[in-house]
Amino acid sequence: MRSLIRYAGWMMAGALLYSCGESESPVAQGPTPISLEKPDYFSDQQAMPSDNPLTEEGVRLGRMLFYEKKLSQDGTISCSSCHQQEKGFSDGLQVSPGVNGTLGTMNAMALSNLHWQTRFFWNGRAVSLEEQALLPIEDSLEMNLPLDEAISRLQDDPDYPELFQAAFGSDQVTSETIGKALAQFERTLISANSKFDKWIRGEVELSPEEELGLELFFTHPEPSIQLRGGNCGDCHLGFLTSGDPNGIAGFHNNGLDSDEKLKSGLEFVTGNPFDKGKFKAPGLRNIALTAPYMHDGRFSTLDEVLDHYNEHIQNSETLDVLILEASNEALDPSKPIKLYLSAEEKQAIIAFLHTLTDEEFVSNPKFSNPFN
Amino acid sequence: MKNISYLFLAVLFAFASCDKEDETPAQMNVEITFENTLNGNPLELNQENFTLPSGEPFMVKKFKYYISNVVLTDTESATQYIENDSYHLLGQDFNSVIDLGMIPSANYDQITFSIGVDEVANSRTDQTGDLDPNNDMAWNWNSGYKFVVLEGEFTHQSTQERTGLIFHIGTNSNYATVTLPLSGVMAGKASSIALETAIDELFSNPNILAPSNMASTTVMGGPVADQIGQNYAEGFIKAN
Ligand code: HEC
Ligand code: HEC
Repeated sequence: MRSLIRYAGWMMAGALLYSCGESESPVAQGPTPISLEKPDYFSDQQAMPSDNPLTEEGVRLGRMLFYEKKLSQDGTISCSSCHQQEKGFSDGLQVSPGVNGTLGTMNAMALSNLHWQTRFFWNGRAVSLEEQALLPIEDSLEMNLPLDEAISRLQDDPDYPELFQAAFGSDQVTSETIGKALAQFERTLISANSKFDKWIRGEVELSPEEELGLELFFTHPEPSIQLRGGNCGDCHLGFLTSGDPNGIAGFHNNGLDSDEKLKSGLEFVTGNPFDKGKFKAPGLRNIALTAPYMHDGRFSTLDEVLDHYNEHIQNSETLDVLILEASNEALDPSKPIKLYLSAEEKQAIIAFLHTLTDEEFVSNPKFSNPFN
Repeated sequence: MKNISYLFLAVLFAFASCDKEDETPAQMNVEITFENTLNGNPLELNQENFTLPSGEPFMVKKFKYYISNVVLTDTESATQYIENDSYHLLGQDFNSVIDLGMIPSANYDQITFSIGVDEVANSRTDQTGDLDPNNDMAWNWNSGYKFVVLEGEFTHQSTQERTGLIFHIGTNSNYATVTLPLSGVMAGKASSIALETAIDELFSNPNILAPSNMASTTVMGGPVADQIGQNYAEGFIKAN
């Protein structure tokens, strides 16, 4: 009772102090806030998480952790083993070896422009970068290190406690701050200086082939009005070429498998049978550097990817309607689903995909191994 | 116990003390909310329990639309509030509120807005906010915006096959302006104006569309798109 009254009293005092005056913000001490270096055509509407603002110290620490092999059981593997800068932060393998060479089951995803995404992993099971970052450390197929062991290794290190102090105001290493630091570094991995970006900014022209590819990429075909398209932009949206960040709207079944072979995908997360076989539509930036392709790395070239979308779509209960409905010739339900792009049109789309390669991104010293 | 209530009164008073009393405040907070429906039921994405007006089982996967150039009118005092830079992208599981913020107080009894974006905004896509072309509503780089997007799948009546239904409706001729009477908005009082969209209206009134009979169930332009444009111009959005 007494404490309640005291509480009310404090509230009143607070209200009186606050009521008509202006609030004064205390002088901030601590890490140096920074903002993302992004072009103005990347949306401003994606807010930074309020409990993990970007800071110079946080990003610096996150970069070290990203390259820190201590975070794997036998000290041989870091995040960067499977997410290599020169390969657009992927690893060039169909599936990746974890500690002791244990092979994983999924293709390592390329990392870029992650700030504009809201669900992570091929099946979307992580809902923040902070949460995602801790999972590979513990994953028995990846770094295979219990989090408390990771924490004590960093705590016992001569340098890390100080770096955590600088970034988060406490020299006590926690799993929360490990996740936050890694997430901060990953948010800075912005790829926005490809030929496509330079074209958006009006700095360069595309070749006629690249331009045709761009048109086809972003156009949904409509044969009745002679509109030709590859409908890629229906799922790989806008300048980012990544999936819809709203809820689960960026997950689709893009026709890789028939019903018999369909994996659970997003269904694993939502429990909804309509989500079976749906996977995250990844951003396609630096795609020419991130082969092999798809969640299981089944395609080794972009030619195979285009052949898939053009002529090898497998129908299933959850095949995306945008693919089911997309064709450059009038639909005939008795025929298999095909886009009917010509060989030249497929090559044009591939030429456009090559304009998404960002040499600056894959060589930017800010993203490289700080221990070298 | 009494002590506490006195304290609370004091607290309340402290908060109120900055306001001048008995006058209608010059500003009021107004928001507009949208509820999406299909055959009178609240819409849910990726659920199988809907039926098209023509009878086919129907599952909606995406439903988004632009509302622009919002104007509130108090017909009595001929006061108008015209929202600046008024472009709003709404959609199921996406955004259901237009927050006008603090606007001049009046007994607004009429709302006017347009479905789609006007010719000026539709002539370029280098815009930000709700007109950001990355919102998945730009056709591509040089041809403006989709105004109303409905995507889903239905069971075809003759083939019994799972069939996609894709409406991407745009172009300046399908920009439609709607005026609706309002009740209950009172000067000085925070108000929430509840509007409702009815997806079934895209398929009827005045043009009846039965997807199982349509030559193409992908509609992205041409005469069928214009028919859908005529359908949404009236009765598609109502005051709730
Ligand atoms: C052994 C290889 C390996 C290691 C080590 C590894 N990853 Fe990954 N990473 C993968 C694979 C494989 C996937 C996709 C897994 C899935 O979807 O199930 C992935 C997915 C991701 C994603 C999701 C990207 C997206 O677009 O959804 C992020 C982010 C990521 N990893 C960051 C990290 C970080 C941070 C670390 C270090 C703490 C790390 N990874 C360590 C292989 C690895
Ligand atoms: C219906 C949505 C949809 C359409 C349309 C679509 N994609 Fe995809 N795309 C996806 C999804 C989902 C994945 C991931 C699928 C998986 O791995 O299971 C993907 C994966 C890819 C990948 C592999 C990415 C990687 O990192 O492994 C490439 C390349 C690609 N798509 C290119 C294209 C091109 C080119 C087109 C147009 C011809 C296109 N996509 C059309 C949804 C789509």
